[in-house]
Amino acid sequence: MEILIHGAVSSAIYAMLAVGFTLIFGVARVLNLAHGSFYALGAYGTYVATAILGWPLLPAALMAIALVALFGVVIEKIFIRPLRHSQLGVLMITLAISLVIEQALFLIFGSEYRNVPAFIQSKVTIGGIDIAGQRLLTVAVAVVAIGALYLFIQRTRLGSAILAISQDAEAAKYMGIPSDRIFSLVMAISAALAALAGVMAGPFLSVQPAMHLLPIMKAFAIVIVGGLGSIPGSIVAALMLGYAETIVAYTISSSWTEIVSVLATLLMLVFRPAGIFGKRAAF
Amino acid sequence: MAICKSRLHSACGHWLVAVLAPLFLLLQSPAALAQDNNKPVRIGVPTAMQLQVGRDTITAIKMAVDEVNKKGGILGRKVEFVVADETENPETGISAIRKLLANEKVDVLIGGYTSGVTLAQMPHISAAKTIYLGVGAASPSVTNKVKTDYDNYKYVFRVGPINSAHQARALVDYVSNFVIGELGYKNIAIIGENAKWVQDLVPLLSKGAKEVGAEVKLTELFDTQTSDFSPLLAKVKASGAQYMIVIVSHGSSDILAKQWHDAQVPVPYGGVDVKSMDGDFFKRIGGKSISQVTVNFAVRTPLTKKTIPFFDEFKKQSPNYPVFTAFFAYDAVLLYADAVKRAGSFDTDKIIKELEKTRHEGIAGEISFDEQHDLQTGKGKYNLLFVQWQEKGERAVIYPKELRNGDFILPPWMKK
Repeated sequence: MEILIHGAVSSAIYAMLAVGFTLIFGVARVLNLAHGSFYALGAYGTYVATAILGWPLLPAALMAIALVALFGVVIEKIFIRPLRHSQLGVLMITLAISLVIEQALFLIFGSEYRNVPAFIQSKVTIGGIDIAGQRLLTVAVAVVAIGALYLFIQRTRLGSAILAISQDAEAAKYMGIPSDRIFSLVMAISAALAALAGVMAGPFLSVQPAMHLLPIMKAFAIVIVGGLGSIPGSIVAALMLGYAETIVAYTISSSWTEIVSVLATLLMLVFRPAGIFGKRAAF
Repeated sequence: MAICKSRLHSACGHWLVAVLAPLFLLLQSPAALAQDNNKPVRIGVPTAMQLQVGRDTITAIKMAVDEVNKKGGILGRKVEFVVADETENPETGISAIRKLLANEKVDVLIGGYTSGVTLAQMPHISAAKTIYLGVGAASPSVTNKVKTDYDNYKYVFRVGPINSAHQARALVDYVSNFVIGELGYKNIAIIGENAKWVQDLVPLLSKGAKEVGAEVKLTELFDTQTSDFSPLLAKVKASGAQYMIVIVSHGSSDILAKQWHDAQVPVPYGGVDVKSMDGDFFKRIGGKSISQVTVNFAVRTPLTKKTIPFFDEFKKQSPNYPVFTAFFAYDAVLLYADAVKRAGSFDTDKIIKELEKTRHEGIAGEISFDEQHDLQTGKGKYNLLFVQWQEKGERAVIYPKELRNGDFILPPWMKK
């Protein structure tokens, strides 16, 4: 039971991170190493708005997410778009952006941990297991956010445009779909999802300048296991990794959890390089 | 110079040295001799500048240096200090030490925080024959080297903190006399980060705890990168432990406190939590460390006549009360100045002889060194205090009993 709940929490955070990461790759073929920085900025944005500006939590969180989405669009326009023809160029520039952001956070806030307030302070007891309310909320928010994204892609005109580009960017262009605008939109969604993960997980995970490393490592592992560009693959892989880590933590030791994702990535690359849902299409 | 590029270049090097070396000596020696008496004494401060322990080291050294200079410096020479960031990474630590020794040409080193960094720096300190007064690293391995290889490592002294073996003993005393003796909790869990000093400490601790009749229900080490403690906390709860001993320095003890608080784990906890020694730890994590006990070496209570004035003066110069490195850094500067005065010269060996005889009244007790240059503990000296976070971020000493200035409180969700 404990494994079931705690595994769900880890999986939910991983899924929010990995879906955005895989989405921008599937649509724009951008392997965004600055994805973790969006997560970090979401948490720091909330910290600044609540602790320094004294805002209530909800507007602070929404503002942080919106700003990060905007920031994602700006990054895409200024830095990524000119280099999009070169995968290597994109990797380099996004890595550079993530390092710049890390150093900036370091200089502004120092290396100490910061406190992001939780939406729910109380604990909830399910089947005799005590769990912080914030964690359950995180699971719910992840399900809603990813569900909404799915509906958006499947049911709306913009969603169809995203789908079309992910399937064949050239053909979509000939059909009159403005691919640059779609890329901006996808970048905004991807950044907002990462920021949302940061806002939700900030209260119970660490908020410090190097916090972008963990999500980027996990997102990488998940999309490799799940198949680059595949959203269902990412969700399945996020569940697998989240639960695998929790099971290891419960049955073996907490000092072994970090190796799980690395090992999964390695095995997957050796035995099935394309991942579980191994097509090169996004959906 | 074309000849120098040929195979003869080594001969060429010798030739150059032969001509240039006397020239340099000629240029330098009279000036150097004349300067020696006027040039300031330079203290090199290798520390983790981005952390509270580092910032407080610097503030405390500045306070002590100002004090020494006000009294005329050391043997008539002014004192100044220069800082290098050693971070928590051994390689950066080595470059910091080399910068201080080679470029800054410091006379003495005062600083340190991470034991692994200090251990990596020691060969360089020994090679430079420069006195090093440690104020942060707790691993016994640091001063063990003085014992096993005195001639090479006699330069190293630990002004603080109390080494982890002594800390383990104090922790065992706390568990037996307070947790079992006074609170009546016999079942304990021990968790700690997977690091050298904890691996040294945990076996001593569980052995000691068993000797005094405690039952160790769970012992587990976690990775310093661990960001989710809920499985661990669930295990502790399931183990039936009534008290959780935590030993953590570099790991994310803030997340541990938050997750413990948010899940309202019905097990009070305490132990060695280095980040929780920070004056602003309570504030930083939104008050979630309430009722947590952590060790400290001094709090604002009259341990010696210097304690309260030091805390108040420090608070004027910094937004927070000092952490432990500050006490030792301050003491280290003053006791070094005394040792040089007693030695009557800047001769390194003479200063070492005097440092070995140190009886210095420090901020929280007398400082003296044992035969391996390690800080001694005991009555009237520095001791490990067990301090609890209470309402509004107040801190109360709850153990040892003779220094107690507040009553133990339970976490709010455990109060009847």
